[in-house]
Amino acid sequence: MDHLLQILVNGLSAGAVYALFALGYTLVFSVLGVINFAHGAVFTLGAYFTYLLIGGPVGANGALAGFRLPFALPFWLALAVAGLGAALVSLLVEATAFAPLRRQRSDPLLTLISSLGAGVVLVNLVQILMGAESYAIPAGTLAGLPAAVNLGGATVRTVQLLLMGIAALVLVVLTLWLERSRSGKALQAVSEDPLMARLLGIPAGSMIRLAFAISGFLAGVAGGLVGLSVSIAGPYFGIGFGLKGLGVLVLGGLGSVPGAVLGGLVVGLAEALVPAEFSGTKDGVAYAFLFLMLMLRPQGLLGRPQSSKV
Amino acid sequence: MSGLSLLVQMGLAALLALSVSLPLRCGQLSLATPGFYAIGGYVAALLSTRWQALGGAAATYPLPSLLLEMGVAALVAGAVALLVGRPVLQLRGIYLAIATIALVEMLRVLNLNLEWSGGAVGIFAIPQPFAGPGGYLAFTVLLLAAWCWICARLDRMRLGRAMAAIREDELAARCMGIATTEVKLTAFVLSAVIAALAGVVAAHFLNTWNARQGSFDASITTLAFVVFGGSRTWLGPVVGGLVLTALPELLRPVGDLRLIVFGLVILIGPALFPQGLITPERLDWLGRAWKSQGR
Repeated sequence: MDHLLQILVNGLSAGAVYALFALGYTLVFSVLGVINFAHGAVFTLGAYFTYLLIGGPVGANGALAGFRLPFALPFWLALAVAGLGAALVSLLVEATAFAPLRRQRSDPLLTLISSLGAGVVLVNLVQILMGAESYAIPAGTLAGLPAAVNLGGATVRTVQLLLMGIAALVLVVLTLWLERSRSGKALQAVSEDPLMARLLGIPAGSMIRLAFAISGFLAGVAGGLVGLSVSIAGPYFGIGFGLKGLGVLVLGGLGSVPGAVLGGLVVGLAEALVPAEFSGTKDGVAYAFLFLMLMLRPQGLLGRPQSSKV
Repeated sequence: MSGLSLLVQMGLAALLALSVSLPLRCGQLSLATPGFYAIGGYVAALLSTRWQALGGAAATYPLPSLLLEMGVAALVAGAVALLVGRPVLQLRGIYLAIATIALVEMLRVLNLNLEWSGGAVGIFAIPQPFAGPGGYLAFTVLLLAAWCWICARLDRMRLGRAMAAIREDELAARCMGIATTEVKLTAFVLSAVIAALAGVVAAHFLNTWNARQGSFDASITTLAFVVFGGSRTWLGPVVGGLVLTALPELLRPVGDLRLIVFGLVILIGPALFPQGLITPERLDWLGRAWKSQGR
């Protein structure tokens, strides 16, 4: 039975990262009703920031070849700082790709396109500066923690437990903040009805920026964690993640926070259950889910059905 | 890359841009074009490498066989579009875009893993119907001209006007008695057929075909063509495809920055030119200016 437990842990830890990632997507979607296609790029940047902050050198193919920061932070601090850096980048994306179009009251489809553009610019900046090679965050960075623990007969990598723990922590904090705090409730009000919220004196603009900052932070942390547990497979690795994240998002229901988590866990588990001989098709699982869900229940598992106003 | 080859690629890009622009003309953002482009390429690659009779005795691959491949590709892509289009086009806006991305990615993963599509390696040594890029260029220009003509005709046909009406207000269009589902489906199928035909030519031109030909990157690139050129006229996407494909070559001195320039175009374009470079109004203005010059 240890095999099954192994699969379960693999699936849940992968799902935890998907969930973290999709939470950022869903926050922005719930406030603006638009999908931020630059989210995958912000995730990528988070991974690279983490790598650089722990003192990793730039490979031979980038413009910055051989560069390394004059200091090296411990992993936890690096992850947090990388998250903040990703939050800043996310704010920058908001200012360039979203704010101008919002002021013009443009078609939401145009915003989708401009956010794609922001993502392409970011990813290619990384490619020029850091090169196309893959980077790995050495496992030794988790000083003091054993690489793997024995859990009921199955060996579980510590990283996997960390992923699950951090995802659970973030989810609890985020939910508490959204439901209990003043600013969290203000954010919900803006997502419910921006005009009404503004009439009630809630600054919609700053709430939108707040959503982007949190979303960027979550993406950055998820990026750093994937960099630690797998590797950073070149500048484009966030794009694939971003597309899969869409699947997670739609599966759980666009704009639903618990939905994003549920969707992440379902996709993670489903991918882990794909037998090894079909491992090539693993990447298709999220898209198949996504497609079926859109056909059968577009509002997702936990989303509210949207009725169109006339 | 020789100048002629670049011109062929520009022509193919213009075709793909036309393909993306057709659903957009009725307000539907479908990113499925690279998927149908891949289907067209696989049809051509499989037929020409596996079916010996098509090859004939001559040194170059016979032109009628190429036309036959295009017929088959158009049928296959059209059938897939018809099958998938009906459920998919019930989705609106962002949901439609996401569903079509999922389609393209599922197709890519399938092609990467199936035996008959050559897996990750793809299909090699696709026979050449033309001795050099000159023949390809002539053929691509003919194909592009034909589709430009069809798309230009759309403006004066019931179908084209129905598409514009749906774009402005789908509900109002339906109230006016326009069969919105059928019109959207027709646009989707036409879009699939254009992309598949471009795929057939591209597979022969590139000599090899693999799963990388239809990916999310390609969706972005073709979308950029249309955003840049504008989707309300047939000329907009064509100009977008031609210019943005030539741009990286012109930017060659800048080297690696070409994709960043690309990204900037789609980042800034929607705010500066919400309707793209070429709009009917600007065309009218140009036409009037031209006439007053002539007088």
